[in-house]
Amino acid sequence: MGSKPKKQDYQASEAEKTSASVAMAERNYFKQKYDPLLRNMRDQSRSDDNRLNLRRRANADTMQALTADPSFANTQRTGNAGLASNALLGQLGIAEKSAGDIKNTMQTGVLGTARGQAADAQTGMAQASRLATSDALNRAKNNNAVRSAKMTAAGKVARAATQKYGELNPDSKLGGFFNRANSAYDDARAAGY
Amino acid sequence: MYEGRLSEFGISNPQAGALPEVKDPEAAYAAITRGDYLDYVKKYRGFEEELINKSQTDTSLIDAAREDSAAAPDIMRQSAARNVSRYGTQLTPAQLQQQERGLQRQGTLGSIQSVADARIAQTENNQRLLSDLINIGQGVNRSSLSQLGSEAANANSRRRAYDNAKAQSKAQTYSTVGSLASTAILAAVFL
Repeated sequence: MGSKPKKQDYQASEAEKTSASVAMAERNYFKQKYDPLLRNMRDQSRSDDNRLNLRRRANADTMQALTADPSFANTQRTGNAGLASNALLGQLGIAEKSAGDIKNTMQTGVLGTARGQAADAQTGMAQASRLATSDALNRAKNNNAVRSAKMTAAGKVARAATQKYGELNPDSKLGGFFNRANSAYDDARAAGY
Repeated sequence: MYEGRLSEFGISNPQAGALPEVKDPEAAYAAITRGDYLDYVKKYRGFEEELINKSQTDTSLIDAAREDSAAAPDIMRQSAARNVSRYGTQLTPAQLQQQERGLQRQGTLGSIQSVADARIAQTENNQRLLSDLINIGQGVNRSSLSQLGSEAANANSRRRAYDNAKAQSKAQTYSTVGSLASTAILAAVFL
């Protein structure tokens, strides 16, 4: 009869332990370094800094284009101010739209990354649950195997006892019966029953 | 706090330079997964709701266009006055009147156009934001459904394994008891 399985035979190998440790170290590094960066990006994406910069730029572009090369004749053209006013409005509109685009892209980028992490976490949970499932299955299989082995052992003990009794007492009624019964059992097994 | 939770699962020295020891990788994995989700809820759930709301209600471009169209004529009036003053001269009352009319006319037209442009730009920006959010949401939904499917398959497999084990155990018990009983009966008959 074989010995009982030893728990230490089922311990993780050094390679597996190291792999888990490295994975955990990388994970900790990621949380320490990148989590704060993503949070900063989230806060920055809420600010109006880009919008104000782009508006300043739009204003400067308009003024440079329309007043960088002044002349007396231009100052006397009374329609220029109205046209310049429209030009400024157009440039500011473009600045506002671009700032909105940048803000939205940044915000959805932050959310996508955060959600990606959450999605990864969910996938991880499914994987963790699969691990737990295989453990549960293994436990159930092991319990079942132990129960089956106990029953088989009981049967074997009974058979061995009857065989021995038959060998020792072949002339007795019970010994003869056990011999015939065991022989019939062996024939039945050999026939595939 | 998060590291504190990890230590409950046998992960030591998570902050140290040396490699941390992971005694129970499965529990650590579960703790990290739960921690990630809770971190998302704490740090990004409000942000996400803010963005969803913004994609449907944002009017910042239109508001800015309205404010700018009121302010732009004044800015250009002052700019024109500064340019004239640089030449040491000034506009006649008739020229000033003409300039004012031009500013008013262009200001009105410019205001109408910039607000109309801003409406289009706003709609475009909001729709793009909404579609980006929907894409993100779909990705999350897809992975959630896949996860749920996986859990359902696991549960089904566990139940079937349990049923099989029960049936196998019962069959084994009946078989052994039956063979012992038949041996005993036959023994009694021959005795």
